Amino acid sequence: MKIDCVCTSWYASVRTLRPDSLMEANNDVALDIIITNVVSVFRTRCHLNLRTIALEGSNVIYKPEVGKVLMKLRKPRITASIWSSGKIICTGATSEEEAKLGARRLARCLQKLGFKVKFTAFKVVNVLAVCTMPFHIHLIQFTKNNRPIASYEPELHPAASYRIKNLKATVQVFSTGSITVTGPNVRHVAMAVEQIYPLLFECKSTMR
Amino acid sequence: MSSRVCKTCGCTDIDIDQARGNAVCMGCGSVLEDNIIVSEVTFVENSGGGSSAVGQFVASDGTGKTPVLGSGFHTTLGKESRAQTLLNGKRQINHLGHQLQLNQHCLDTAFNFFKMAVCKHLTRGRKMAHVVAACLYLVCRTEGTPHMLLDLSDLLQVNVYILGRTFLLLARELCINAPAIDPCLYIPRFAHMLEFGEKNHEVSMTALRLLQRMKRDWMHTGRRPSGLCGAALLVAARMHEFRRTVKEVISVVKVCEATLRKRLTEFEDTPTSQLTIDEFMRVDLEQECDPPSFTAGQRKLRLQQLEHELAKKIDEVQGEICSYQDEIELELESSRPKLKGPYASYAREDSSDDSVSVASGLPGNEDDADEELKAAAQQLTKDFYSELMPGAGEASRAEEGSEAESEQVVLPRYPPLASLLGPLPTAASLGLSESIQKCITEKDVDGNSENGELDLKGIDDDEIERYILNEKEVKIKTELWMQQNADYLKEQKEKEERIAKEKELGIYKEQKPKRPPKKREPIRASTAGEAIEKMLEQKKISSKINYDVLRDLDKKGSSPGAQPEETPSSPGGRKLSGRRKRNMAALGLGNPISSVGKRLRPLISAHVGKKPASSQQAAKASAAVVTAETSQPVVVESGPVVYEDAMEEEEEEEEEPCVSAMQLMGGNDYGCDVDDDDGL
Repeated sequence: MKIDCVCTSWYASVRTLRPDSLMEANNDVALDIIITNVVSVFRTRCHLNLRTIALEGSNVIYKPEVGKVLMKLRKPRITASIWSSGKIICTGATSEEEAKLGARRLARCLQKLGFKVKFTAFKVVNVLAVCTMPFHIHLIQFTKNNRPIASYEPELHPAASYRIKNLKATVQVFSTGSITVTGPNVRHVAMAVEQIYPLLFECKSTMR
Repeated sequence: MSSRVCKTCGCTDIDIDQARGNAVCMGCGSVLEDNIIVSEVTFVENSGGGSSAVGQFVASDGTGKTPVLGSGFHTTLGKESRAQTLLNGKRQINHLGHQLQLNQHCLDTAFNFFKMAVCKHLTRGRKMAHVVAACLYLVCRTEGTPHMLLDLSDLLQVNVYILGRTFLLLARELCINAPAIDPCLYIPRFAHMLEFGEKNHEVSMTALRLLQRMKRDWMHTGRRPSGLCGAALLVAARMHEFRRTVKEVISVVKVCEATLRKRLTEFEDTPTSQLTIDEFMRVDLEQECDPPSFTAGQRKLRLQQLEHELAKKIDEVQGEICSYQDEIELELESSRPKLKGPYASYAREDSSDDSVSVASGLPGNEDDADEELKAAAQQLTKDFYSELMPGAGEASRAEEGSEAESEQVVLPRYPPLASLLGPLPTAASLGLSESIQKCITEKDVDGNSENGELDLKGIDDDEIERYILNEKEVKIKTELWMQQNADYLKEQKEKEERIAKEKELGIYKEQKPKRPPKKREPIRASTAGEAIEKMLEQKKISSKINYDVLRDLDKKGSSPGAQPEETPSSPGGRKLSGRRKRNMAALGLGNPISSVGKRLRPLISAHVGKKPASSQQAAKASAAVVTAETSQPVVVESGPVVYEDAMEEEEEEEEEPCVSAMQLMGGNDYGCDVDDDDGL
């Protein structure tokens, strides 16, 4: 079945993210890191007339006050913000390859509209992933153990946030055991999960 | 003072009395000196009767710009910016703190935090009110007072998350670990506000016990402490026969009704809720409860399983329904006049689309837009079509029942269905191949970006064509858009007209976005020479300054001839004087020199825009060092004279008042150096 092929390739890419250390530590448990959003930018090196795009594209939203056009693609489900300077930000992809494919598709679409676009400076800027631990976490203890790096303010947000400086990644830890990780690329995200797992394991509560 | 020899008796024992300003010989009693000028702190009497010290505090870092008194600086006269900020902050802290009923110790601690924040420049770019509130909240947290961030935001009418952001930043920068909030802290405060009268203490204790129970039952992690307090107090009130409605409680506790109800239902789920009041007071259940989010998660899992089972069943049923559907269609077709030719294929295509949508509609309804399932169903049905096409003759469990027609229309049917099927598999297969390629070889992506060429691999043009509207659609859309954004377009037109008018009149000012001023680090240097070098690096090189002179300034005994190599200054002495002043400050020269500088500034401001004056100042400054050591006033005069500029005459005229200042300095008579900044 063709759709199965697509699915397995996607799962394969997700599974490659599974941290190796975890496979050794817990033989039964393996963490699945699911990438939910990939944000990327690229430049078209040419001035774009937003009004033309707005009037001739079929799924576009034009915001003249801000000065950008939102264009949504169906195939890799992405939303792109297009500025007249030629800078484009793509959000909503679920993997780095998909982001690149979507960006290229978008550039092709703009090309067809008549602009002399070039596909330059493509860069994945942000990756958001979620992961669920098989245990609950005692947030107050977690914050105490990792004092300045972790911060927990229940009045403001129910999660404790842990910033890893060298990876430039932020991990938001919820008491149910789910964590969200944001980082500059997929590798950093995986490394962040590897790094934070032992810290979370220390503060686990006996649930689940 | 240096010990001198008495002139009358030759005795070396000289007593110097600072208070009287006398130097008296102990041997013969003769007064050697009278009215010694001392450099100590002097006091001046205020209008209120109190006395205050004379002079100003100058910060050790940065510029130390002293404000001008003449322009009127509200109540803080002539104080520099840092002192003003601190004073202002202190006032605001006290004002806010009194509204919160904080004691003096807390207010002092808050002011200390504020001072630290100002030192680290955390007040820059932030509203003073926010920083003050953050300092106060920090104190509340460290002291454990029952004040919430919400209270502060109420007082200031500021969004609580903005205050929270400032607070977190402050705590991080000052490396202060605020202990976690314990909801138990808030109980006495809320209980008091709910007015339980005599039984206040009992109700509080009950509520505390409830809260501890909640903690053990895992209800409090990740939740706002005030919500938990509200629930605990409500239950405690009811237990002690106080009728407190939900509305009263939420007005005190500041959460919304839904939150309170949710907490109550969660508590209801715990086994503790089953106990009677007496039992609860006596017994403490051993068993810990699962967190409510966990039970919710379990419930979700169960629901999902149910849905899966349902979906499976539906798949089975689906085939049957479709076959019924198609049989009905068959009957209809046979009764209808048959279409022949190319149009038949289009008719067939429409019906095929319909059946696809019907088939996908069924699971769609059940699963609440479970897209994967829909896509799977669509794919299933489409695969059936593809199976059909090669095996058109077979009368199998066909989705398309009209096989009698199918042979005729097999060929024309290929392209439309192929295009329907096309994008899905091709994209998938290419995506796969791409990812595999990447794994095997390190693909050089940079080459692509350098060229700027668009790599068309994996992009299906046909599909992209669909994203672009055709001409008729463009027209319609243009009209619609124009209508919708009529206001915006009008505004733009008006703006352009305005700009055009201004251009004609010549008033047009292009408004550039304000760039934030570049922050400069204060120069930290161990010697004056180092400071000069660093300053030279920082500031842009100008043709108006003689750098050799600057470099030689701290060197002693430099020949006066070396000094006046200064290039003739072009108009723009004002700027020059400013720069010189700064140079003077940054050079870190000794006190006498700076006071000389102060002295000379009134003279410079008097001769506004006269470049020689400013250049003279530098000459004086340079000369001053020399004269301090060598005390040769003659040198000064020679300095300006060497100028090649034709403005020598003016210089000579201005020389005289300046020379007198130098003479004064030569006489060490700079004692009356009190409020010289007034001259600025």
